[in-house]
Amino acid sequence: MLALPSMLDLPLAVGRSTRSLFDQIGAGTRFVVATCRAMRDTKDWIPEFSTHARILGVESLPIGVFIALFTGIVLALLASYSVGDLVPPYFVGTLVQKTITLELAPVLTGLALAGRVGANIAAELGTMRVTEQIDALETLTFDPMSHLVVPRVLASTMMFPVVVAVAMLAGLLSGWMASLLLLDITTPQFLKGARIFFTDFDVRYGLVKSASFGAAVALIGCRAGLNTQGGAQGVGRGATRAVVISAVMILVLDAFWALVWLSGRTIR
Amino acid sequence: MTTSRRASDFVVGATVLVVTIVVITAVLWLKQADLRGKTRHLVVRTRDVGGVALGNPVVIRGVRSGQIESIALGERGWVVLTLGIDRDITLPSDPVVLLAASSLFGEWQATITDATGLPADRELRAAISESRTSGDTLAGAVLPDIAQLTTVAGRIAGDIAQVADRVQVAFDDQAARELRESLRNFSRLSAQLANTVALQSKNLDQISGDVQLGLTSINAAAEKLSAFSSRVDSATSRGELQTIVNNSQAAAKELLAATTRLRDVAVGLDRTEGRLASAVSKADSVFAKVNAGRGTLGLMVNDPALYQQSDSLVRELRVLIADVKKNPKRYFTMRVF
Repeated sequence: MLALPSMLDLPLAVGRSTRSLFDQIGAGTRFVVATCRAMRDTKDWIPEFSTHARILGVESLPIGVFIALFTGIVLALLASYSVGDLVPPYFVGTLVQKTITLELAPVLTGLALAGRVGANIAAELGTMRVTEQIDALETLTFDPMSHLVVPRVLASTMMFPVVVAVAMLAGLLSGWMASLLLLDITTPQFLKGARIFFTDFDVRYGLVKSASFGAAVALIGCRAGLNTQGGAQGVGRGATRAVVISAVMILVLDAFWALVWLSGRTIR
Repeated sequence: MTTSRRASDFVVGATVLVVTIVVITAVLWLKQADLRGKTRHLVVRTRDVGGVALGNPVVIRGVRSGQIESIALGERGWVVLTLGIDRDITLPSDPVVLLAASSLFGEWQATITDATGLPADRELRAAISESRTSGDTLAGAVLPDIAQLTTVAGRIAGDIAQVADRVQVAFDDQAARELRESLRNFSRLSAQLANTVALQSKNLDQISGDVQLGLTSINAAAEKLSAFSSRVDSATSRGELQTIVNNSQAAAKELLAATTRLRDVAVGLDRTEGRLASAVSKADSVFAKVNAGRGTLGLMVNDPALYQQSDSLVRELRVLIADVKKNPKRYFTMRVF
């Protein structure tokens, strides 16, 4: 016999969901605070920093460049197709430069690295959790936060801008090549378009944004890994959840920075 | 582990350094930053900057020569711009700065030009004059952009539309018919004028030919005059003209004297003529009497018998005279006491 839902179920469900949401936000905030506190233990994370910087940053350069190369080509063709005869040809250079530096290089690279870096961190720490290596560290009075989380978060925060900077350059170069070879736009025209509205704020905006993406991806991956339960399946679920939440957070942060830095700001 | 850590340190460090250097270089290159001090700065004063922005190009004679480096509000309602241009560029003798849109897509530029080459726009020239100041600060003004021009054009278009409406209202069927009639009349008049012109053109040709001949004659006369003048000149140079003038004066005097005598003679002749006329009239009356047969002479003229008697008398007298000459003693006796 089916029980009809009572009038109290809907508010109860909403209340539970809200509490769960705030619970997660609170837990995440506590995690971030704990990570910041653990940064004081420099002796614990400095020796591990460069290793993680190489794994998360240097080894991510090829994928960042790969994504940016094709993004630049597509963007040049798209710009020419969209506005074609309506604007002078050098506006392709403007569109490529502005879009690559302000948006596509940070966001697309961030999303790609969220899958690589976030999943890598979540899987590694999840495996350590399910194999009780973290418990062993805690037993040996090693702080998992300073040994495991802080070097990864700092390495990701520092290396994401490096990868995104290289992606910006690669995207501009590929956009230039595509304009030159496929659109009959000369190099002086492309350069004129790239320079005419260029400001160093564009690069600063993209790099600061990418640093926030790196920090978010690493924090989400570390938390998902440290909270893994249930063996191999749990590791898989944790890695997946880390990638999904990282991607969502990248987009949320992208909108946040646009609101904070771009609203009310003209091209000057 | 140590080797791996050192390798990681090296790789990460090198990567970060290289990327940082490349990015900074790329940013400076895109911004066309002046690193070697090849830029000099010009200060421009203007009331308005229009749509000019930082980084917009500075153009001299169509060539990009720098960029706008700063825009700031000045005192007493002025705006002060700082232009960075290449140090090697020579400015016009009286440079002024015009801020204008360089395309329809929001790009603006600052053009440095000579004040003598300003457009013939009263308001622009007044703005430039107002912006002038002492020192190295250049005067600047904003040219109307496409938005203002389209606003004015829109107003003009509206006025034209109103006029067109009025013309349409005024130009009804009656007016159209009258206009067509006028056009037909004009066409006929044009044809008549064409015929007249064709006819008169022939006359004009002839006249022009005559004029040409006349001109040719005048030319010849002018040449002769010129030759005469040259002779006069040469005569003048040898004093002959003076001699001629003197002789002419003398001749004129003689002519005057002769004229005076002739006048006197004419006066005498007048008097003589009067007396002659009187004598002729008297003779005329005598002859009239004679013709009328009045008087002795008239009788003698008109009477043939008298003529014959007179004639025989004269013959007899001639015979007598001849006889007297031949035989004087017959007729004359001379005694001296």
